[in-house]
Amino acid sequence: MGATTSVHRTVDAVWRMESAKVIAALARYTRDVGLAEEMAQDALVAALEQWPVEGVPRNPGAWLTTTAKRRAIDQIRRRENLNRKVEEIGRDVREATPDASEGIEDEIGDDLLSLIFTACHPVLGTEARVALTLKMLGGLKTEEIARAFLVSDSTVAQRIVRAKKTLADAGVPFEVPEGPDLAPRLASVLEVLYLIFNEGYSATQGDDWMRPELCAEALRLGRVLAELAPKEAEVHGLVALMEIQASRAKARTGPGGEPVLLLDQDRGKWDWLLIGRGLQALERAEALNQPPGPYYVQAALAACHARARKAEDTDWQQIAALYQVLARISPSPVVELNRAVALSMAFGPAAGLALVDEIAGEKALRGYHLLPSVRGDFLMKLGRTDEAKAEFEKAASLTRNEAERTLLLERAAACDQTGTLAGRAGAS
Amino acid sequence: MRFMVFVRSPRSLAVCGGDALLRAGVLLDAGDLVAGVCGVSGYWLIDVRDREEAVERVRRIPLPACVVEIRQVAVV
Repeated sequence: MGATTSVHRTVDAVWRMESAKVIAALARYTRDVGLAEEMAQDALVAALEQWPVEGVPRNPGAWLTTTAKRRAIDQIRRRENLNRKVEEIGRDVREATPDASEGIEDEIGDDLLSLIFTACHPVLGTEARVALTLKMLGGLKTEEIARAFLVSDSTVAQRIVRAKKTLADAGVPFEVPEGPDLAPRLASVLEVLYLIFNEGYSATQGDDWMRPELCAEALRLGRVLAELAPKEAEVHGLVALMEIQASRAKARTGPGGEPVLLLDQDRGKWDWLLIGRGLQALERAEALNQPPGPYYVQAALAACHARARKAEDTDWQQIAALYQVLARISPSPVVELNRAVALSMAFGPAAGLALVDEIAGEKALRGYHLLPSVRGDFLMKLGRTDEAKAEFEKAASLTRNEAERTLLLERAAACDQTGTLAGRAGAS
Repeated sequence: MRFMVFVRSPRSLAVCGGDALLRAGVLLDAGDLVAGVCGVSGYWLIDVRDREEAVERVRRIPLPACVVEIRQVAVV
């Protein structure tokens, strides 16, 4: 590896580590996240030019921040109505030495938290929030975000430009929300992190079923948030949920890349270090003694599976009870469908079927292939094979996933054999 | 990528400033090892994107005079 390449790789690493802090520190002064991000990018370009020649500075983060602040001063000087800010930043840069930032780790925590809340502001659409979060907090380059979401570089670039403009136009303050604003704003942040994680865990597009780099980034940001906001139980709940789900990554696909369902997974392939971390995060959430939120309950559900060394050891009664809680705080027909599965496992297929029949008319479940799939499963277990076959065939016609369709048609065909065997047994 | 960072230091790892790794969301595990001839030793297990990030993150920690070894954890 050449010396220049080596320095560029170091610059990349430093950028990923420092960019969010640099942007956050700048945004505190400029009160303009868009300008802060642009100036931080300028500092990165300067680093790429200077460090290969002059060497990597002893404190690269401070170097980037100072350089970006100087660029910000130049920018702001061009704006006559912002003279006051020039003085503030000028004073700060004059007083700053490269070593001065070594002790500011705690101080910038608030800035970082403000940046998280700004990037995830509800005034932005979901895609914009995701792109801005990965760019400003994850330190990902535009092309890396584009690759992760299988869209063009220009699409991501446009999303980011528009997002920054929207924030500026809306006059979104660079601050940590307080009082009644905090809960909905925190929910927006957690939603973004979980969306990033889920896109990595169950990719909605492309050939790959998983994109681990997105899971890793969401997990890292979640852990950062947990340290910045340690008194928020839902943050720990989300971290717990992501840690436990990530622990199953290697067991979720078979040798041919085919999905392996949770109860069929080889639990020896689960990452027990992540499970341990997830359970610890869940304990942190519980210790805060706050009303259970949806992430906490989902994490508790994931933990029920994680605690069972074998699938048959799963505590289905506890899972059914947790789904009841989830249905209360975050009602949805899909939650009810999951609750039906848990009821079936805990109390028998008739209990599950009763609930499924209650929710079968829900508009949201119309065209949802898992409804007939689950119903077919209950009917088959109850020995009503003709009805089960019809349900599996209906589910196969609704799914858009080829592997799943094959599986459902196999189950429909198996109903014929089961029915025939039952008939013979009855005849003898 | 996961990296195991072994630190041979005259001081316990707990006082060596590993909090920065925790705040950065990359610390998975940490612990002290039984003291050897070089003094107290310990480890950090970190999850970062590449070796350069692992090195840079460890470089930022104000460690006392010590020996640091950074090894990538094999993925099975």
